[in-house]
Amino acid sequence: MEVTTEIIQDAVARYATVRGQGTLANLLAFGRVLKQLGIEIGMSQMIDASRSLGFVNLSSKTDFRVALRANLVSDKDDMALFERAFECFWQDCAPEPPAVDVVTPPIMPAERDGWTDGDAGNMEELLAQGPSPEAQPEPDQEPFSVPTYSPNEVLSRKDFSEMGIEESRAVAQAILMIANKIATQVSRRKKRATKGDGIDPRWTMRKSIKYGGEIVELVERKRRIRKTRVVLLCDVSGSMDCYSRFLIQFMYGLQNELWGVETFVFSTSLSRITHLIRSKDIAGALERISNSVLGWSGGTNIGRSLQTFNQDFAAALVSHRTVVVIISDGWDRGDVRVLGREMQRLKARCRTIIWLNPLLASDHYEPLCKGMQAALPYLDYFLSVHSVNSLVALGRTLQRLVA
Amino acid sequence: MNPKKLTIETVEGALRAHQYICDRSLATVVYLSITMGKPLLLEGEAGVGKTEVAKVLAEVMETKLIRLQCYEGLDANTALYEWNYPKQMLRSKLEEVQHGDRETVATEIFSEEYLVRRPLLEAIQSDGVTPPVLLIDEIDRADMEFEAFLLEVLSDFQITIPEIGTIRAKKRPYVYLTSNRTREIHDALKRRCLYHWIDYPSLEKEYAIVMTKFPQVESHLAKQVCAFMQRVREMNFYKRPGVAETLDWASALVALNRHELDEATVKETMGCVFKYREDLHHLEEELRCKRLDLNQMLKASAELQA
Repeated sequence: MEVTTEIIQDAVARYATVRGQGTLANLLAFGRVLKQLGIEIGMSQMIDASRSLGFVNLSSKTDFRVALRANLVSDKDDMALFERAFECFWQDCAPEPPAVDVVTPPIMPAERDGWTDGDAGNMEELLAQGPSPEAQPEPDQEPFSVPTYSPNEVLSRKDFSEMGIEESRAVAQAILMIANKIATQVSRRKKRATKGDGIDPRWTMRKSIKYGGEIVELVERKRRIRKTRVVLLCDVSGSMDCYSRFLIQFMYGLQNELWGVETFVFSTSLSRITHLIRSKDIAGALERISNSVLGWSGGTNIGRSLQTFNQDFAAALVSHRTVVVIISDGWDRGDVRVLGREMQRLKARCRTIIWLNPLLASDHYEPLCKGMQAALPYLDYFLSVHSVNSLVALGRTLQRLVA
Repeated sequence: MNPKKLTIETVEGALRAHQYICDRSLATVVYLSITMGKPLLLEGEAGVGKTEVAKVLAEVMETKLIRLQCYEGLDANTALYEWNYPKQMLRSKLEEVQHGDRETVATEIFSEEYLVRRPLLEAIQSDGVTPPVLLIDEIDRADMEFEAFLLEVLSDFQITIPEIGTIRAKKRPYVYLTSNRTREIHDALKRRCLYHWIDYPSLEKEYAIVMTKFPQVESHLAKQVCAFMQRVREMNFYKRPGVAETLDWASALVALNRHELDEATVKETMGCVFKYREDLHHLEEELRCKRLDLNQMLKASAELQA
């Protein structure tokens, strides 16, 4: 989400009262501003930052900035935000404190604090409750149609509160089962075992001590099972609208039950929403998603979305042990050749591609649309997904395939 | 160089003297990492000189460089220490023949004499006048478990070997971690490090780098090469070339005795810059439809002030 200049100025103004005489007080205030803007800073980093100021010449603004940046920022993506906040905060004169700084409206990044608060039962509770009371409906929300695909890029912001989420825990259970199936993989690292596939010299030696160095017991080791990364690419274009309730739950279930899941949604463009749904607090997450994802229920361009994914994210997220799960009906409005090429590129990088298509449930469905045709050669599994029953069936299929 | 008498300027100057051209912000963080004794995490695209910083710094500080190359499956045994099993077995067999004392043997074969030191232990145990530079290269390739383990080593600079005890570093090594961002590094590890992102160099800086590394390159050729690289990085290639590629290319052009860039030369030597078939193909396409206008670019580069 874009952090506007107003938000930064707001944050700076908010802590203007904390500012005082001397660098240390100002540094502390600056730290709070950064936190407010969503940059995570630990206490030790603040301490080190103030320590580092003892080593640089404070009259040089550049050195001062670099010293603070090296200590307080630990991600490239936060750098630009830091620079803007720095410029705004360390002006020659401090901005005037606002008259009523207490009632500064809370802004989005500040809600990060709230993410961790959600207790474990929260998700189920909310699932049972249905629409979240917190999610406020947009007054100027236009009614959206359900097109098979839309020729125009409809950048609509969709409010999740309209969708009641009352699906039972059975779905969550089924998802968890599937998640475990696709995510179990043998690791290169080994651990000790009574029955393994090789001798562990270290422990064999260790055990031999009690026999005076005579090797009596052979300790073996075997490869252990490790969780694979899963990348979930979800189609949220208009043609998928009737499944969106399920999709949300699927994304949620996978993301929160498994380690190392990255979630993306796409329609005409791709958005990463991993950070938005990484919490047990489903209501807050829904609000966050609906605020930040543009193009929900819009048209579809799978090829371009995959291209964005391959270019910007694949290097960081996809390795030879990654399972990529794509959920889409395959109705593609973009260039089919691009889709084919990007699928090929993705296939070369990852371990398995699983395509889940809700339309496959119908007996008469054949993957005839061009997008699906282009993608088919690169799929490892092409499976149906539309209901709890199909999920259970999917689980069984995967069990057979993995075993 | 005496670490106590460092300033940002001397760091910058010393790196430059050892043929590493860096900007002031990099010099500042390197200086801070030395004076504060805090590890430095360097991130950046491939081939921008992350590893080189540590290598050059070891030369500048006149100390040993200990390098730990990370890979998937790297574990404590390979990074820290391992017992010398064959030696242990030989010893116990020998004692058996000589009817040695069992207890003594059992303790002795787990003494330092039978220890194989891996990079991390070596860095911590090192007792030179200046502490060594410890380079933990491509940390993103190692797995999460190793990161967690590293956390312990980097926060206390001590290692516990159950059979021997805890070994503490007499002097903290200068630690440099590099990452290509092929995955996210855990926050806890990041918090323990200073952070710096090395960007692609500006045209002037890249020119300076080429001229420092290859003084025999003709000045206008170097300008052309750098201008070309700058332009190419703005374009949509699968793998953008780094400074390493620029230097490779420059050295290839020197070896081939070229004095001028032209389309034929570019095409012949493009293998130095692009390592993917798709990218080479893409480049030819761009050259053909003049989106990458070589002549205009060369003209512009001639006007560049050295």
